Amino acid sequence: MSYVTIDQVTKSYDNQVVLENISLTLKKGEFATLLGQSGCGKSTLLRSIAGLEGVNVGSILIDGKDITNLSPRQREVGMVFQSYALFPNMNVFDNIAYGLKMKKVKNIKSRVNKMIELVDLIGKEESYPHQLSGGQQQRVALARALVMEPKVLLLDEPLSALDAKIRKSLQKELKRIQKELDITTIFVTHDQEEAMTMSDRIFVMNKGKVVQSGAPSEIYTTPANTFVAKFIGNYNVYSMEVFHKLVRSSELKGDEVAIRPEVLQLVSPGEDCPDLQENWGIKGVIKDVTMTGNVLRYEVEADDSYFHVDYLHHRGLMFEQGSRVQIIVPKKECIVL
Amino acid sequence: MKSSLTFHKVVVGILVLYLLIPLIGTFLFSIAGKWDHTILPENYTMKWYIELFQDERFYDAFKRTLFLIVMSVGLSVVIMLPTIFIISVYFSKWERLLQAAAMLPYGIPPIVGAVGLIKLYSGGPIPIAGTPWILIGAYFITILPFMYQGIRNSLHTVNAVQLVDAAELLGATKFQAFRTVVFPNIISGILVSTLLSVALLFSEFALANLLVGGRFETLQIYLADKLNSSGHLTSAIVITYYSVILLLTGTVLKLTFRKDKGPIMSDKKRILSFFKKIFRQKNTALEGEN
Ligand SMILES: Nc1ncnc2c1ncn2[C@@H]1O[C@H](COP(=O)(O)OP(=O)(O)OP(=O)(O)O)[C@@H](O)[C@H]1O
Ligand SMILES: [Mg+2]
Repeated sequence: MSYVTIDQVTKSYDNQVVLENISLTLKKGEFATLLGQSGCGKSTLLRSIAGLEGVNVGSILIDGKDITNLSPRQREVGMVFQSYALFPNMNVFDNIAYGLKMKKVKNIKSRVNKMIELVDLIGKEESYPHQLSGGQQQRVALARALVMEPKVLLLDEPLSALDAKIRKSLQKELKRIQKELDITTIFVTHDQEEAMTMSDRIFVMNKGKVVQSGAPSEIYTTPANTFVAKFIGNYNVYSMEVFHKLVRSSELKGDEVAIRPEVLQLVSPGEDCPDLQENWGIKGVIKDVTMTGNVLRYEVEADDSYFHVDYLHHRGLMFEQGSRVQIIVPKKECIVL
Repeated sequence: MKSSLTFHKVVVGILVLYLLIPLIGTFLFSIAGKWDHTILPENYTMKWYIELFQDERFYDAFKRTLFLIVMSVGLSVVIMLPTIFIISVYFSKWERLLQAAAMLPYGIPPIVGAVGLIKLYSGGPIPIAGTPWILIGAYFITILPFMYQGIRNSLHTVNAVQLVDAAELLGATKFQAFRTVVFPNIISGILVSTLLSVALLFSEFALANLLVGGRFETLQIYLADKLNSSGHLTSAIVITYYSVILLLTGTVLKLTFRKDKGPIMSDKKRILSFFKKIFRQKNTALEGEN
């Protein structure tokens, strides 16, 4: 039973199509992520759901109700903006209480205080936005949206303005709050790692279209096309023609081959290639080695093609730049696209 | 390093002196009794000020100028604020057009404008030439560029569009959003351009003289008239008028720079306390007179 339904939504500005025939559904309580490069239409889709932009074609349903033509204030949708958009003339308490005051509900005070506790801002009630750190402002923005108990929470890159460390801890906190309130959430990011760690489901977008959707592990291990393969996993992608030449075999059929960098192995050219039944061996030269903390990435050239090979950084450097190696490619890890 | 600093100080000092000497001269002349063959006046008197402040015409002229300013600046705020807000939030395509329109008055010299206005409004459906109303209209146009820039910049600085989005999602109507989250954040910016406009209009002579002249005697026209009778009196007028402008610009500066310092107050409180302060100053000034 789907809780949020977006049905064939299309939107264009002037002559430029920004959202093209987008359809997706979410279950209640699901944490979904829209993932895609800058300018692919993530914010536009989010703003369309919130009612801040109209759509040209298609409909949007929440909890069985068609909200396509409702104004933002009637949609019962909460949103956190990338730049937070806190009200500078109000303190933390008044910022969070704003929506409740507009709705003229009772016991505003206790509801706001409960929210302040939930987002861990006790003691900051009287502070004004400009007196808060980025992370604190972000939590005020979150509390301000959550206190309205929206049916759907929309988050437009809420963590992108924060540095890596705070970002990690806020990711956890956001996830905790989302689970605690069991609130259906649509999260926007262009950081694939963030999408992987947080989401129940990922919708990968490219040029205004949803190109693949599924659980994080599903998207990571079985990319549906070249774009997803490159964007999600830093896959090595080759045209079939080139790949046939590299492995001197035309066993695989299709247009392209994608191989994850961590399934490849490197051995010295003298060593025997393990089990030629299961693997291919490709001769190459180490062109570059980069270290990103716990991962060593070798860039290997073979016949004018490049391979990225990732190793966990526990054995230290195995091959120097310029040394000759053999790349071991497990046949069953090659994904044909 | 140090010598260059003293050099700068000297330059600034000379500049300040250069700018202040006419003012000091005028001030001295306005309180001078006999002053013909000495460097400084031989004796001092307040009689020019007393004469000025006892002249009904001065008060009337002051009142008229005030009336014109309040009307035209008030009209400008009431009309331009919603216009600029609506255009920049909902019809951003039209923003350039509005900007061009708002900048036009810069290109028209007052004399040319005045002649055109008199021609246009001396007959036809709205015969208001020679009345204060035509002057209010002309003043509205004169301050348009300042008001436009001031309001637009304030709206952009607080990112009004996004604030309205956020407020609407939290259940506010567009009007509520404007009143509760946009207006309180731009009020100080608007106040600055308002005060600048007031200062500008206070010293406006060309349009006033051409459009209404003696039929509606403003402060500047009164001043021009007195210029022929007594130099001492005109000096007193200039000094009085200068003090008012000084007070206004001082306020503008204070409002512009207050952001970085001082305890945090909400804008409402800040403006309230600002008016209280002005009021107190006025009171003490009045007490001084009595
Ligand atoms: N108001 C607008 N008028 C015209 N074009 C627009 C407007 N807003 C967005 N666009 C265009 O729509 C496309 C998608 O924009 P959108 O803001 O949705 O991208 P995004 O995926 O959120 O990117 P980012 O990750 O950089 O935030 C862009 O090409 C942009 O130029
Ligand atoms: Mg965006």
